[in-house]
Amino acid sequence: MKDSMTPFDSHPDPVLGAALRAALAPEDSAAFVARVLVAANRPAAPLDVLAGWSRLGIAAALLVALFAGVAVARDAGAEDAETASQDVVIMAGTEAPEAITLLASFPER
Amino acid sequence: MLAARAQAGDRTAFGELVERYADQARRVARAVLQDSDDADDAAQDAFLAALVKLKQYDATRPFGPWLMRIVANAATDRRRRRTVRRAESLDEGYIGGGPQPDAIAERAVLLGRLRKALAELPERRRLAVVLFDVEGYAHAEIAEILGMPEGTVRSEVFHARRHLRTLLADWREQP
Repeated sequence: MKDSMTPFDSHPDPVLGAALRAALAPEDSAAFVARVLVAANRPAAPLDVLAGWSRLGIAAALLVALFAGVAVARDAGAEDAETASQDVVIMAGTEAPEAITLLASFPER
Repeated sequence: MLAARAQAGDRTAFGELVERYADQARRVARAVLQDSDDADDAAQDAFLAALVKLKQYDATRPFGPWLMRIVANAATDRRRRRTVRRAESLDEGYIGGGPQPDAIAERAVLLGRLRKALAELPERRRLAVVLFDVEGYAHAEIAEILGMPEGTVRSEVFHARRHLRTLLADWREQP
């Protein structure tokens, strides 16, 4: 154990390292390796596959909803613009429009 | 080279990587989780995640830090998910006194105290000191693994050592 440790010390402490290594020492490495390799070679469970698909499905549904929202908003915007242009025509005239024009410009309810 | 072979789909190479890094991954996971069974589960999760993400690995860079980042994340995720378990308990009376223990028992007690002292550290500090003093990674690599600035890693290692060194005054390396 070194006594002159500073945050700038860039060398591992062999005594502390050995002590920690012993404290954290895993047991039976061969069994662990075998267990990992068995798990790695196991085919994916059907539920895992479905879970993967469900993530894709949710993403696709979100995209569809987004496009639908954009389309609806665009249609509503076009309708508003059309109504507004009719109002402008009526208001911009130098002479008073005929009654029939005014009445025709009211949207049907 | 081994990692590049595994990346190309060579399962034997992946097996060799597991063999090479198994103990390291288990120690790092144990530093986070403080429980050997949980640590083994987290280490296994990490190897399986690494297998899935292997295509994302940049084969021009060292494999160890890339894998240890996955291990640290897997262990942290598991710690967040798990129900609270009793940490490994130590017989405080035995540590404090009692009959004169023989060398083996004394060593076991010291290791238990060291685990307990390690558990008292914040998680990032524990990981930093284990990656530096046990696994031999450089500060810059640990910064990459833990996603923190290199200066912070140096500071974490320094504070962890200061906390742990008080326990190790009578530590003697044994064969």
